[in-house]
Parts: sequence; C-alpha cells; structure tokens
Amino acid sequence: MSAALQSTLPGQLALLAASRPDDVALREKRLGIWQEISWKHYLAEVAATGRMLCELGVGPGDHVAILSDNRPEWLFADLASQGIGARAVGIYQTNPPADVAYILQHSGSRVLFCEDQEQVDKVLEGTDDTPDLQHIVVFDPRGTRSYDEPRLRPWSEFIARGRELLATEPGWFLDEIESRHPGEPSMVVYTSGTTGQPKGALLSSKNVVATASNMAPMLGLAQGDSLLSYLPLCHVAEKIFSLFLPLSTGAVVHFGESIATVREDLRDVSPTVFLGVPRIWEKVHASVLLKMQDSSWLKRTLFDFFSRKGREAAERQLAGQARITDRITRLLGDLLVFRALQERLGLRRCHLPCSGAAPISRDLLLWFHGIGVPIVEGYGMTECGGVSHITPPGRARLGSVGPVIQGTQCRIADDGEILLRGDNVFAGYLHNREASEETVRDGWLHTGDIGEEDANGYLRITGRKKEIIITAGGKNLSPEKIENALKTSPYLREAVAIGDGRKFISALVQVDYETTARWADRHELPYTSYADLVGKAEVRALVSEEVGRANQLLARVEQVREFTILGKELHQDDGELTATQKIRRQAVTQIYGELIEAMYGGEAWSS
Amino acid sequence: MTTTAAPSSLLSLHSLSLAFSGVQALSDVSLEVDEGSLTAVIGPNGAGKTSLFNCISGVYQPQQGTLRFAEHDLRSLRPHRIAASGVARMFQNLALFDQLTVLENLLLGCHHLYGSRWWDDLLWLRRARRQEVSHRHHAEQIIDFLDLESYRRTPVGALPYGVLKRVELGRALCMQPKLLLLDEPAAGLNQEETEDMARYLLDIKEEMGVTQIIIEHDLGLVMDLADSVLVLDFGREIASGSPATVQNHPSVIEAYLGRPAQQDPA
Repeated sequence: MSAALQSTLPGQLALLAASRPDDVALREKRLGIWQEISWKHYLAEVAATGRMLCELGVGPGDHVAILSDNRPEWLFADLASQGIGARAVGIYQTNPPADVAYILQHSGSRVLFCEDQEQVDKVLEGTDDTPDLQHIVVFDPRGTRSYDEPRLRPWSEFIARGRELLATEPGWFLDEIESRHPGEPSMVVYTSGTTGQPKGALLSSKNVVATASNMAPMLGLAQGDSLLSYLPLCHVAEKIFSLFLPLSTGAVVHFGESIATVREDLRDVSPTVFLGVPRIWEKVHASVLLKMQDSSWLKRTLFDFFSRKGREAAERQLAGQARITDRITRLLGDLLVFRALQERLGLRRCHLPCSGAAPISRDLLLWFHGIGVPIVEGYGMTECGGVSHITPPGRARLGSVGPVIQGTQCRIADDGEILLRGDNVFAGYLHNREASEETVRDGWLHTGDIGEEDANGYLRITGRKKEIIITAGGKNLSPEKIENALKTSPYLREAVAIGDGRKFISALVQVDYETTARWADRHELPYTSYADLVGKAEVRALVSEEVGRANQLLARVEQVREFTILGKELHQDDGELTATQKIRRQAVTQIYGELIEAMYGGEAWSS
Repeated sequence: MTTTAAPSSLLSLHSLSLAFSGVQALSDVSLEVDEGSLTAVIGPNGAGKTSLFNCISGVYQPQQGTLRFAEHDLRSLRPHRIAASGVARMFQNLALFDQLTVLENLLLGCHHLYGSRWWDDLLWLRRARRQEVSHRHHAEQIIDFLDLESYRRTPVGALPYGVLKRVELGRALCMQPKLLLLDEPAAGLNQEETEDMARYLLDIKEEMGVTQIIIEHDLGLVMDLADSVLVLDFGREIASGSPATVQNHPSVIEAYLGRPAQQDPA
C-alpha cells in the first residue's frame, strides 16, 4: 500500500471506501429526510469532482475556492482539489463582497464552488478584481439561470460530466492520489484577521493526518461516533471535526438543513462528539435559563437546586475532592432533571462535548459540568493544524486547555509566549513570506498567546500578547477574561474591555436582543427596536446588575467600574467583527472612541 | 388595455362589471394575462383591486363581462371548482389555522389534490399512502423553497408576521396553481422581508413558471417585478401597459398625487 494513501486525506477516504464501502459516511437532511451517503459513494463523488476540475484545467499548485454553507458537496470539492494536487480555499459565507473578492484575488483561485444566488451575486459584484476566476460552479442554481455570465455552471451538470469522464478511466483518481506527497500544501485556511487583512495559512496532509490519528484514541473516538457539521468549514476547527477526525476513525458526519435549524438538527442527530465555540455554549446556557424562567414552579425549583448542587460537586471533583454524597445528588439530579434536559439539547449521547476556537469562561464551564455536560477545552491555531493541546475526557482542570498532544512540543518563551514545534506546524502563509518568517522562527511557531504550564504539563492561556491591558497602575490584565465574565450573563452578547493606560477598567457592552427583548416583554416594557430597547433606563439597570454579578467573578483590579451599552449590534459588514464573530478590537475602540472617552470623563491618557 | 387576446393568454377578462346595489365596484375592466407573466394591479384604496380578485376566484359574481381562465369559463364555476382548475390565492389577511403547525397548514393547501376514496384512507391502502407521501414531498419542496425549515413543527399562531406571510404564500403554492393571485404580499413587511418576498416572487415566475397577478401598494416593488401593470381608480381602468408607460401616465399621477393646483392668474 502506498504511503500516500495512509498519509493524505483523500487517500484515507480511498482506504475507507475500500474497507467499508457500504457503511454510512455522511448524512444530509434534505426535504425533511436524512439521506445517507456511503463511503463508496463519497469517494465516487470526490473522484468525479476531481476529474472535472482537471478537465477545467486545474492542476497541482492551483487554488480552488469554496463559498458555501456546510454540505456534503463542500467536502467533495475540498477532497477532490487535494486529490489532484490543488489547494482548497474556504471563504466565509458571511463575508461582504469586498472580502470575498480579496480572498479570490489573493489566492488566485481559478474555480469557485458557490452555494446559491446570494453568494453568486456577491462574487459577480467584485468580478473586476478577480481576473483569475474562470469557472463558478453553483450548488443551488435557483435564480441564476437567467444570468448572462458564461463562467456559471450548475453543480448537477458539473458532477454529471465528471462522472461521465471518469467512467472511461475508473482508476484515474486513485492514480492521482498515489502521486501526492503528504508534505505538499493541500489546503489554504484564511485566518479570521482580528488585526488586519486575513492571511492564508498553508496546511498539508502531514500537518493534520498524524495529529488526528494520535488524538482519536486519546479522546476515545471510534467509527461508531457521529458528528454534526455546522460551524463554518472554512475554519480549521470544523475541518478537524468534519474531515480530519472522521477520515481517521470512519465516524459519520451529519449535515443539517440550514444554519437556522441547528437546534432541531442537534436533537435529531444527538451526536456523540460535539464541538461548540464559546458563543454556542453561551447561547445554550442562555436558552436553558430562559426556558426555565417560563416553566412551572416545581421544575424551576428542581432545576435551580440540582444545577447548584451539580456545580458544587463539579467544583469539588475538578479539585480532586469528590465526596460520596456528590454522586448521590448527581444521580438524583440526572434522573429528575438533567436526563430530560440533555435530551432536549441533543447532548444526551455526547461523550465528548468540546469547546475551542476562543476562550470560554470558567463559570460557564462549571455550569455545564454541573448539568452533566463535561465540556473539555482544547487549544490550537490554524497555523498548527488547529490543535496543539486538548484535555483528555475525565481529566479536566478548570482554566486549563490540557497537555500538549503527542508529536508536538510546547515551550514557553521568556516573555510568556507559547511556542510550538512539530509535524503539525504549517508551511507558511500564502504569498506572504514576511509574515511566515515572523511566525515561525528557528522551527518554533510563535502563537502570539501568553500562557503558563503547570507541573503536569497542563497549559493555561492567560491572554493575547498584543491585547494585554496594562492599567495606569501597571497591572497586566487580559481583556478576554473580563469579557468572558461579562458574557456569562444571558443578557449580554458582546463585551469589549478597555483600560490600557487608564485608571480603571471600563467596558462597551452589546445587549443580547433576543433574551433582553423577552425580559422586556415579561416586564411589560414596550419597545420598538434594538436601539429603543437599550436606551431604556430599566435595561440599563438590568445590565448594571449583570455587570455587578460579573464583577464578583473578577479580581478587584479587573472589575468593570463603568460601562456603556452600544446603541447598535456589532456587525461584520461594519468591520466590527471578523467572519468568526470575533471582535476587531482596534476597529471597535476606534469607532466608539467618543463613548470610551466619555466613560473616563474625557481624561487624557495617563501613561 | 387592448382586448385582442394573445394566443398565449392564460386569463382573459373582458368588459367586467360588478356592482353592489348602487355602488359600482368594477366597471368595464378588461385584462389579458399571458402565461408565465407577472401582472400587477395597482390603485388607491377602494379602487376595486380586491373585488377583481374576488371575481376571478368566484367569491363575487360579476353582472357583466366574460372571465376565461385557460379553457374554463369562470363565471359558470363555483369557487371550489375554480380552485381545482388551478387558481390559488394568497390572502392579505392570511388564511391559516393558528393551532396547526406550518407543515400541517401547507398540507392543507394540498387538500384539494387528494384523489383517494374514503375507504382508501380508512384502510390506509397503498393509494392513500402513496398520495400522502407525494403531498408531503411537495410540501417539503415548498418549505425548502421558502426557507421555512426551522418553523416546520411550529404552530402558526406563534410565528412573527413576516414568517406568516411566507407560510401563507407557501399554502397557496402547495395548491400547485397555474395562476397565483397575490393580495398585498409585502404589506406589513420590513425592508429585508420585502426584498426576500420579491426574490420569492421572481423565483416562482422563473423556476416554477407560475403565472402571477399581484396587488401591491409598494410601487418600487411593482415596478421592479411586473411585466405589465393595470391601474384602477373608482373601479375603472385608468391605465395599463408596461411599468414604464404606466408610471408616467398623467391619470395615474393624478390618481395617486391629486390634480395640480390651479395656477394663480395673478
């Protein structure tokens, strides 16, 4: 057996298709019914896509962009490109036209796979900037048939032609895979760009395949596992859970109906492995609390009692001081409350709930541990194939992201920066030698995050190197910790902590419209819009109370003394958020400079 | 509007008049609707637009004129027969059952297509089963078309107005109509929802090939979407033709904006 088969992603697919041809590989909900795709079918579609890409002139070293929601075709296009030596480039569906054009142009993509009319319109808007783009394949061509644009072609036609071509040379795709080299770049993952234009990180099969196969047994993953693919596939975190891990274990990946139906899909699938970004976990937490406020007295009382007890038990267990009574209350709580709750949330079967991609608050983690959803935290970045540290299930330590994974070395530099070395470290940024050299020095990947390791090798992240707040009093604080404490409140959606060179910490907060609107309804407070709602004195009082509560989780110097509620919701289109909904701190502090100055009473910078 | 019937004309109204005692709701209105086109009917409040729809769908019986739809003479048909012949209607004030879910409401739209006998249904014979599956499939296609997936199992009474409008459109589409009458589909919708609705109407035309007549006050929407426009005022046709012609027609400007004030001779 050729090494290329075992050590590349398309090769792993070919092996699975040979060993388990008729087992289910993917499920997709279409017209209300979960449709199954076997490993054999999966490979056949990937091969046909690859054949057709080759027909369109795509070859080794070329780029193929994908601009779509998660769906099986996303994986087909990605693996097909890798199989023929090209590199798949994911673009966020939420990107405004200019950002889409930037990535198409920067990567020089020749073929683009596009979701639907909405995305096609965005691409055509920036068509002057993308001279390299020769073909646009549309998954759902509804509404685009009348377009006078020769580059457009529907997916159905594209894949049918690919199958036709492949029929005459069935072994073609396997030959292609065999000639691949695991070390050649096979994917471009654009970083979200919190500090500037996104950079395209080049990842190879070598970066991800070994990591996935080392990680799977440690996390207890096997072929019987099922996953739900719902976070953007352009992000490396979802790639790990939709591509890297399933291709190494043979687990089943599910694609729901749309991004709006994640809650229903989650309940349908009840996945055994689930990755959530902190924002998702915050939302689940908020929705449970809100539901409970509306439920009967008995339910509410039971829930309050057992979630409090569960939390205390979790705290003791994590500190290694579990008591026998904890087990009894947990068992009772599980029977009376949490079993039904977990089933509702679609997390009952989940043996590996993960959180990654951004720091999550300790309080939220404790709450989830308390209700029997023991979230494990991982750490990694695009530049190291998405993961370098992960907590083994059952050995969690709060506030720590776990030990470094097998095959990777971790070192803390003198200034506290986390450095990584290993097979998973990327090959550099696309068309950006300067940034590549700055990021990987002497073979060490400089993460830009500050952290510390304990005696057991568990890593604790304390903040971003560039974002540390140094107060006028000279204290070094992490804005993320403060923001996460604030975001634990179901009524606060976003928070930006400010205080660099200032006497005290202040925050800009964005209210969660959904939950606050429901709160207003319950208190019979009339409002017309977001702006109107947040302008109410009652809402300010509510937020003030929530900020006070968050302050109790923080050290004295970290406490938020002043806050301003933003009059509008932060948005990607206004340059305030990245595609992954992370705050562009610089942009936000600039746009809302006046509000910030007002909080400090117009005082000048004291440093 | 010219009354010479084009060969592809699906609906043809000729000299239609409708009166309630002394009130003349429609007088001498003629309209030709080509297959696959989108025709807009506009006019100030009380101009007779909804009365026109009520004549087409058989709720009102016009006193004069002819009303042909494909090969049917609509004046001789009862409303349920008109519906069965392929005319569906999206109501301005929504014709949905609050207690039923979105899916159930859509399946009700398929109701007139049921061809099984009562004993098929009672004994759940193959014919009834097959039919149920095919209707569900159709309803699911409409759910997909209108992006209603996340509301499938939600009772209609719990939905916001913007979504209700879409469900109402879906219910009409489930009837698998040849002609769709849309009574103010964008009324009460915000900017974003109006744009979505316009998108759906265009897709219905282009992808499904369903002929549509739309009553709408949002003139921007009408001018963007319609192939031809009929303007009514006090039950009379005051202009008709392409959106551009109608827009500049003096009587239309007068009906909407009023007569310009007399110049002061001094």
